Amino acid sequence: MSTPHESPGAASRRGPVRAPQSLAGGLFLLFLALLALWLTRDLDQGTLGSMGPAMLPRWLAFGVGLSGLALIVLAFVKDGEPLERWTLRGPFFIIWAILAFAFTIRPDTWTIGPVGPISLPGLGLMFAGPLAVIIGGFATPEARFRDLVIVALSLTPFCMVLFGDSALLNLPIPMFPQALAGFFPAGFTQNSVLRTIAVVMAVAALLIFLTTRGRRDAAIDAADHGGRI
Amino acid sequence: MGDLFSNLGLGFSVALSLQNIVAAFIGCLVGTLIGVLPGVGPIATIAMLLPITFSLDPTGALIMLAGIYYGAQYGGSTTAILVNIPGEATSVVTALDGHQMARQGRAGIALGVAAIGSFFAGTVATIVIAALGKPLTGLALLFGPTEYFSLMVMGLVFAVVLARGSILKAIAMILVGVLLSTVGLDLETGEERMTFGLPFLSDGIDFAVLAMGIFGIAEIMRNLDHTEHRDVVRQSIGRLLPNKEDFKESYMPAIRGTLIGAILGILPGNGAVLGPFASYTLEKKLAKDPRRFGRGAIEGVAGPESANNAGAQTSFIPLLTLGIPPNAVMALMVGAMTIHGIIPGPQVMTRNPDLFWGMIASMWIGNLMLLVINLPLVGVWVRLLKVPYRLLFPAILLFCCIGIYSINSLPTDVVFIALFGFVGYMLIKFGFEPAPMLLGFVLGKLMEENLRRALILSRGSLETFIERPVSAGLLAVAAILLIIALLPSIRKGRDEVFTE
Amino acid sequence: MKKIALALAAVAGLAVTGAQAQDYPTRPITMIVPFAAGGPTDVVARIVTDHMSRTLGQQIVIENVAGAGGTTGITRGAQAQPDGYTIMMGHMGTHGAAPALYPNLKYDPTKDFAAIGMAAGTPILIVARKDFPANDLKGFLEHLKANGTKVNMAHAGVGSVSHSTGILFNSIVGAKPTMVTYRGTGPALNDLMANTVDYMTDQIVNVAPQIQAGTIKAFAIATPERSPVLPDVPTTKEAGLGDYQVSAWNAVFAPKGTPPEIVKKLNDALVKSLEDENTKKRLLELGGVLPSAEEQTPEGLQKLVNSEVARWTPVLQAAGAKAE
Repeated sequence: MSTPHESPGAASRRGPVRAPQSLAGGLFLLFLALLALWLTRDLDQGTLGSMGPAMLPRWLAFGVGLSGLALIVLAFVKDGEPLERWTLRGPFFIIWAILAFAFTIRPDTWTIGPVGPISLPGLGLMFAGPLAVIIGGFATPEARFRDLVIVALSLTPFCMVLFGDSALLNLPIPMFPQALAGFFPAGFTQNSVLRTIAVVMAVAALLIFLTTRGRRDAAIDAADHGGRI
Repeated sequence: MGDLFSNLGLGFSVALSLQNIVAAFIGCLVGTLIGVLPGVGPIATIAMLLPITFSLDPTGALIMLAGIYYGAQYGGSTTAILVNIPGEATSVVTALDGHQMARQGRAGIALGVAAIGSFFAGTVATIVIAALGKPLTGLALLFGPTEYFSLMVMGLVFAVVLARGSILKAIAMILVGVLLSTVGLDLETGEERMTFGLPFLSDGIDFAVLAMGIFGIAEIMRNLDHTEHRDVVRQSIGRLLPNKEDFKESYMPAIRGTLIGAILGILPGNGAVLGPFASYTLEKKLAKDPRRFGRGAIEGVAGPESANNAGAQTSFIPLLTLGIPPNAVMALMVGAMTIHGIIPGPQVMTRNPDLFWGMIASMWIGNLMLLVINLPLVGVWVRLLKVPYRLLFPAILLFCCIGIYSINSLPTDVVFIALFGFVGYMLIKFGFEPAPMLLGFVLGKLMEENLRRALILSRGSLETFIERPVSAGLLAVAAILLIIALLPSIRKGRDEVFTE
Repeated sequence: MKKIALALAAVAGLAVTGAQAQDYPTRPITMIVPFAAGGPTDVVARIVTDHMSRTLGQQIVIENVAGAGGTTGITRGAQAQPDGYTIMMGHMGTHGAAPALYPNLKYDPTKDFAAIGMAAGTPILIVARKDFPANDLKGFLEHLKANGTKVNMAHAGVGSVSHSTGILFNSIVGAKPTMVTYRGTGPALNDLMANTVDYMTDQIVNVAPQIQAGTIKAFAIATPERSPVLPDVPTTKEAGLGDYQVSAWNAVFAPKGTPPEIVKKLNDALVKSLEDENTKKRLLELGGVLPSAEEQTPEGLQKLVNSEVARWTPVLQAAGAKAE
């Protein structure tokens, strides 16, 4: 999909295509239009007096297709912008971060067409949150693992308590896998388990922050207070 | 007139009781905080927080809910300005220029103008409701499916005018948006359209999911392309609040926006959603230098935000006077009232005057609270923007996921924002603008429903759109606007042909 | 990471099967309401669970999962763990009409649920626009027969209560009006009030205020007795259409396989809440009808479900109403 064009600014363009961006855009629109027409092929169009489900989508598809064609024609006739460079690292990690969140937030069984049924573990926000933050964080080449872990371990408990605590917003978002509650002594209510986990994570974040701080600052003097990861 | 004052007096005496002031405050505060969560608009916020109101008496509960509503609206505008993620259809326009202002270091000013404009609009709207509530409902009944369809067509023309760049691309985007809105179960026959057989698509694509993906996630992806650029912008954070100059530029747009929003909000069937778009179009047409729009024009925030808030308040009119909710948020309010034992209907005004006027008075108080809560918060938000982007965006990403998940508890919604995010990224690379598509999407559903309904009622005759006066008038306005919008491009094209 | 996830899932499975029904409930219960918050079913659910929470000693959290006429939410509920911590509020549409309307339905109301008990029913009324040229049910039916497709009937979309009950009404009286679809009851009522459409059949919660204010008129209520909320509206029996008896009932269900002790506890809590004065008052204010003693039992509810499925299926299939 990505065709990184290293075209020089707005200078003369070689070849018949004078506006690559318009061409790409036009092709995309045409693709959408054809897709829509194909998807609605079985639907009834009806008459004006009683419009069927397909009437409006088909007309719209035609409209989109026409605009696409117009853009393609213009791409050969008028000067336009070149295609910008595409970076794949960013979208790749962000998409996977979001998917990681979606797959781990609640227990479910999915059947996607011929694939499945896949059983999703319900790990709750306590795992889905850090996954999203850390994986997503790598979308930028400037990512630093330690920083992301600290952010993840401090932001997630904050969200868990704000959204999940019954004294606060109490939203029906799964916070932790149900089984985890079994590891706590019997007296603990749902709420106490939540708060305990949150405190543990926050403390972990603080510890990591304090113990690895020296490594970045001290360029020369390596002998610092102990506890380095 | 005396009636009006005595009614307002009754209202304020109810609204100013300690319990109700506290309820309004908590409502506004909580609503703002949740509304700031990306992707979570007023509907989702109220639905989530409904249980909190159960311990209160009906008046207090409704005041708190209304507070949550305004708070969520303003919180949504905050997110639209700061991170370009509109939580509701009405915040899309705010995101256009508001976010550009934020990138130029004028986030505080944008937020401030939005808050003050909203407050002004709220005050005016309160008076309008109090004085003209009953007669205005007659207006609402004038609008049938034909008029609504023409109104939506006019709205789509607004979307063309809205566009920054190429008109052809904008029209294409609008059409794509309307096409996307047809995905799902057909309302009349129950047949599935373009759903790939996937069950979660049978109710169509959720606006929040689409907006979050196309605006929010795509924006993050795009920002990661230009990391050097971003830090430079970050340095120059100027004044925190608007100054006299800004006020001068924004007060007229705010007044015009308020009028537009107030009138459109009364129309049942979600006319309020058009308010911000209409205001933006008007301001762009009236401005001396329309090219500033889309690049951080303050009028592009002042007008639409006022229209937004005015519409939000006047949309209570059909609810309180007729008992008919004009949009999904009001439908929630109906449920809330019902749970508290008040069945909304035309007789609420006479049977429960305390409730009716108390609510109206508390609308104004709620607006005041919003100002009080949010102006100091501006400093907090602006400081948050200073966090290095490489740490900020994962946090935004997390909030996006939580926000979208909390609306319907559907992991598939979350998956979809990834898909739409990538699509949005592609669109940006192709030089398309997402805003017209979102508007097309929002209007598409309303448009198709009304079109089909109008044609059924007229037994297939298309003349009905021109025969009925209101509808004809709206279509005429739409046609004129479209011609005005296209004229410059046609002229430019002709000039180009000549120079070649 | 994967190994940990698998291990946790295994432990979760063990924890579930080892659940002690005696201690139930030990944590908050989720009730899935398959409609948007604020609608009639949601309101009934909140009123009833408010009291049930107190009896059970644990909060019941409402989770709104709207979509596809309520079937999305019910499908999720049917597939949930049968440990009593996920229950749902179904109604006439999801557990009566759905099998006929949705050929790809992923649950069977007669088999896939442990019925708990009925919560409340909302009677259906036949309403028309204020200026309709008829003043009672008889005149209305004559007009319908004489004018065939020239008459418009409004409904809130395939799968909605107004749609199913409307089809039933039309089939009983032999009317063939032009059907006009709306997205929800609000817009439909609006057009009814504006004299744009002619008639509709819908729940009392939605139409009572308008009838009381005189903006629309009601011909009959489809229950054996008049409603205290609208004492002037005759019953269908009184008006000569005794065959049309329908009420949009709302009931609590749990997934199939929920242990009987838990079913009993839930049922007890439900019955207690229906005996509570405050709950009763709020339900009656809506125009709701409290269920009979038999309908409040799990067996009685399941019997009702089976009979409803049997009733709706032929009617809806004959009308060709379907959502794919």
